[in-house]
Amino acid sequence: MSESAPTSAETRRLAEVARDRVRFEQEALELSDQVYRVARRLVGSREEAEDLMQEAYARAFRSWQQYQPGTNLRAWLLRILTNLNIDRGRRVQRTPDMQPLEEGDYFLYNKLESTLGDANPDEDRVIERLSQNSVVEALAEVPHDFRDVLVLVDIGEFSYAEAAQILDIPIGTVMSRLHRGRRALKQNLAEKAVV
Amino acid sequence: MSCGCGDCEEMMQPYLDGVLSDEQVLQAQAHLERCPGCDKRYRFEVTLRRFVRVAASEEMRLELRHKLSSLRAAG
Repeated sequence: MSESAPTSAETRRLAEVARDRVRFEQEALELSDQVYRVARRLVGSREEAEDLMQEAYARAFRSWQQYQPGTNLRAWLLRILTNLNIDRGRRVQRTPDMQPLEEGDYFLYNKLESTLGDANPDEDRVIERLSQNSVVEALAEVPHDFRDVLVLVDIGEFSYAEAAQILDIPIGTVMSRLHRGRRALKQNLAEKAVV
Repeated sequence: MSCGCGDCEEMMQPYLDGVLSDEQVLQAQAHLERCPGCDKRYRFEVTLRRFVRVAASEEMRLELRHKLSSLRAAG
């Protein structure tokens, strides 16, 4: 009895760890669609996104014990993924930060509306001036630093605070990059609009 | 044109992001009710955000799903 007790306690502990691990993997996999949606727009091609996903998930499964249960797992996974993406040296081919972005927020709307010849068009008709492809292209042309934030917030629907945590930057930086990213996106969209 | 007030344009994104104070939200709502120019741009912004989110969404391929699944310790 006294000899078998520690062994069975140890066995129980190992079984618990194994169970936790399986649960972690399950939950991480259930989030993979959402993680992919963000990953796909952080990089230029589907192949790159697929590689990045596999690298990120391999790392997540390896270091699963660093994840604190009860915290945001989707944000934790994306933190791993964005770090890997940055490590991959994408900075080498990054586009310059500075772009003439002095157009205001209403710029895109004003431009699209002016092509309709209708003083009071329905917003759906205005949006019809844009194609799905133009959105994908316009997004891809937003400089990396702005795009990371833009994709996390506007596609991944993360809060400013979560985006700050994922990218390890101050919340004020999230806000300014988001602001500039959205304007860059609109400027790109305005160039691609059907007129 | 809208009301031509630069403040509204500056408030639009934070308003849409839900990060304004309660008092600012009330101000913004009151303004949108009486300014058709800002109101239509507001509705456009809401529609644009949804359009961008949907247009930029690409489904993961089944093959990748299987690959991720096989990365588990359990295999």
